[in-house]
Amino acid sequence: MSILLRSSEINKLPVVTFAGEDIAQVKDVMYAAHGGQVGGFTLNGRGLFSGPLKTALPWESVVGLGPDAVVIRDEGALTPTESLLAAMQSGGPSAGDILGSQVLTDDGAALGVVVDVVIEVADGGGGQADVVGYEIDPAEGAGRGTNRMLIPLPDTMSASGEYLMVPAAAREFVTHDLAGFGAAVDDFRAYLRGQR
Amino acid sequence: MLISEALGRSVVSTDTASTVGRVSDFVVDPRLPGVVALILSKTQSQGNALPWPNIIAFGVDAVTVPSAAAVVEPDPYLAELAGKPHTLRHKRVLTTSGVQLGTVLDVDFDPTIGRLAALLLERGPIDAARLLGVGSYAVMVRA
Repeated sequence: MSILLRSSEINKLPVVTFAGEDIAQVKDVMYAAHGGQVGGFTLNGRGLFSGPLKTALPWESVVGLGPDAVVIRDEGALTPTESLLAAMQSGGPSAGDILGSQVLTDDGAALGVVVDVVIEVADGGGGQADVVGYEIDPAEGAGRGTNRMLIPLPDTMSASGEYLMVPAAAREFVTHDLAGFGAAVDDFRAYLRGQR
Repeated sequence: MLISEALGRSVVSTDTASTVGRVSDFVVDPRLPGVVALILSKTQSQGNALPWPNIIAFGVDAVTVPSAAAVVEPDPYLAELAGKPHTLRHKRVLTTSGVQLGTVLDVDFDPTIGRLAALLLERGPIDAARLLGVGSYAVMVRA
């Protein structure tokens, strides 16, 4: 079984070691593979007045990511932020680039603006954390009212800082809450595979 | 036996048949996982730690020790584990998948060898063999 998390829920999660110490908290999610996967996390210190840390957490060192914490073996999991950022640079847009981007279908319709990113974590950790969907604030005239909607993403996709391209068929698999979204992603990806 | 039941129990020396203290806390090593010492209150000597090997028996009414000398100053190993960050009870329980299971209400241990049997949470007991570490933020268990 896997779980779905919004990136906004991951921000501020404590980073906890096997020894039960909270050594940091998540500042931001960094994306790799053109925004298709979680590459790691930038970190803040714990406590009210602690600022950003000079170390970051690469995804390979994460043992578990759940609704309540990011679990790592020990402090050795952290690496200097610069080196992780450099490794991510080739991988595509950062969180800041994705949030606020326009989502455009490949038939040229603007769906709206990305307000959150939905991440799927395989159970038990160790695997990938895939970006499987966006939460979108709908554009006027998209014919879907003003409720935020969740749109599933294909396995691979293209993103620039400007637009995020999704197949037009993604519109048929939109849901409004996370409960049914996992099934919608599976259905959508199965549909795309059937197309090829 | 539950830790909550054992707290406050008298510690009696068998050579003088007198009370040398009362159980006020448990020192647990999560790597075993087991009880490695008791912290006593109302001791006459300068130390307040009773290492588990110095205990004759952990009985239903009292803990027996051979003499008052069984109660010692905690060595660095015990002192480190005895700190507040390492207490189990009332602490949140997190799995290695990052899911919070609840808080530790009580701990079940084997009074003959000191081994932990289970952590008791609101939702029921979980096997103490899953215990990984006890820190200031959380009790960590394997998913």
